Amino acid sequence: MAGALRKIFATFARSYPKPVAQLLPRLYSNVPTPYEIVDAQEERKTYQDVIDKVNRQVAQAKQGRLFAVVHIQGKQVKVTEGDVFVVEGYWPPGAGDRISLDKVLLVGGRDFTLVGRPLVQRGLVQVEATVIEETLSHTKTHFKKKRRKQYMRINFMRVPQTMLRVNRIEIVGEVNHPSDVTGLETRVF
Amino acid sequence: MSNSHIFLKSGFIRTPSQNGVGRYVCQLQRVVLKFCKNNGSSRGMREFVESELINFAKNNPGVVVYLKPRRHRAPVISAEFLNGDKQWVSCHNYSKQDISKWLNLLRTQSGNTTGFRLRKLQHTDHPSIQGPWTPYTFKDPAENLAEYPNTELSKPKIQLKTATDELLEIFNSVQISDKKGVE
Repeated sequence: MAGALRKIFATFARSYPKPVAQLLPRLYSNVPTPYEIVDAQEERKTYQDVIDKVNRQVAQAKQGRLFAVVHIQGKQVKVTEGDVFVVEGYWPPGAGDRISLDKVLLVGGRDFTLVGRPLVQRGLVQVEATVIEETLSHTKTHFKKKRRKQYMRINFMRVPQTMLRVNRIEIVGEVNHPSDVTGLETRVF
Repeated sequence: MSNSHIFLKSGFIRTPSQNGVGRYVCQLQRVVLKFCKNNGSSRGMREFVESELINFAKNNPGVVVYLKPRRHRAPVISAEFLNGDKQWVSCHNYSKQDISKWLNLLRTQSGNTTGFRLRKLQHTDHPSIQGPWTPYTFKDPAENLAEYPNTELSKPKIQLKTATDELLEIFNSVQISDKKGVE
């Protein structure tokens, strides 16, 4: 018995220098989940099937209402047709301008979602919006005080706000079928 | 930041008559520039009237512009919007550029927004397209048929080994190795 106990402590001593993380079951990890592709061809067939379904739905105009997540002025907004949203801070477009929002991070319909990595393929989706109002926010008070230091500042500010109406979200291209030459959409020759 | 803004009138985004759905309509209806012909505080306003007002009126045919000279009074811009709002901007000692900027702001506004706090910076009539999330989305449908109380489902998702378990494990492994040694 005594020999067995000594052995237990010996094993403990051996295991002690190990970092605690190794003793505990792993809770979080950066290691990708181990997986095995059973059949590469089968896999390709499956995703091609899904892509074909999406393309067919779009071609037949049965996708219903679409929504998109667009990146604008450093912020991301989820919009759908007819939405109104406010962009805060100085932003050049003026009232009445019709602009197309090109940084689309995600597009979704009732039955499918296209997730960009980080952006959805250029020219696949068109999101158009109209600037309907440019105004200033309510007066915000910026008050600073440091205790016992005779320091107090008060500032008032009004942040420029631009209101946008989303007019159109449309899938114009074909999913997983990028044009041969990309990057020419924004160039003027 | 102080909290004085919480006593302001507040509300959500309002767009008069679905502006921007078909086309954009300028919401400024009428603007009156009031100034004095000789007072120094109206100098910027007079310069604006002389040099830039014609262009402003030409570029904005939908806006009615009135000029109202009045003796020994401070210059003022008074604007009326299509929704009935009226806004009044004092232009005492403003330069030509200042007046141009303020007039432009009035042109792009859709009403008098001073003293109105927006509660949300977004408005949508269709809050969800794929359906809102519920605790049951992305869950195994087999759980719908489970009967409760259920020991398997009531267990914590991550259960760490207790010290006793660990000791027992080591003890067992040692015993096994002991036996091997005996053999």
